[in-house]
Amino acid sequence: MAQEELEITIDAQGRVQVRTIGIKGARCLDYAEALARILGREESRQLTSEYYEVEQTTRSHIDVKQRR
Amino acid sequence: MSTVMVITPIIIANWPAITAAVAAAVGTMGFAALQETEVTSRVGTATAREEIDLEDSEILQTTAGTGEEIVVERDGIRAIFSRDARGQLKLCIEGGGLSKSQLRKLGEELIGRVTQQYAYHRIVTELKERNMTIVDEQITQDQTVKIRVRNW
Repeated sequence: MAQEELEITIDAQGRVQVRTIGIKGARCLDYAEALARILGREESRQLTSEYYEVEQTTRSHIDVKQRR
Repeated sequence: MSTVMVITPIIIANWPAITAAVAAAVGTMGFAALQETEVTSRVGTATAREEIDLEDSEILQTTAGTGEEIVVERDGIRAIFSRDARGQLKLCIEGGGLSKSQLRKLGEELIGRVTQQYAYHRIVTELKERNMTIVDEQITQDQTVKIRVRNW
């Protein structure tokens, strides 16, 4: 499985930015949303192309179904 | 490519947690906490004074009740952190021969650092609970804390 990372920055005003790296699909939001829930208020979110990619495990599952 | 989320922390904590965040934050700005016996001598009454209430905060009431405050000082500038009547974090800052606008700027910087320390501790605690590993941690020149975390 690909390496999954979070890059978190906390600036001198206390503002937090969470960036997910290598986490595909909606799951990448889970981590960021969990931190938003415990910290306070979500100000913005930006979804990039990785969000719309399907994880390899899901794709394999669909292939199996199609062969039947 | 990735997801990027920006979060503004809301400080919700009891007084001991606030004390820890304040102590860590003011240390990075050269302030030192005063002992109770040193607090009695006030900074001259003629000096300017500013008060800042942190809207995004809620200090949970503890059995110790009210009257909790932390007093820190640097070069004749005194900053007093306390819990206001609405339960928010309040900062009074005075002295050092600074104008009201200079004191406000410094006060906002102090509040920012306290928020930063609070957010740092909440994040690190949460990551540990999720068994995530911090693989890199840096403080940049503008005092931004950067943490890289791996799931395994």
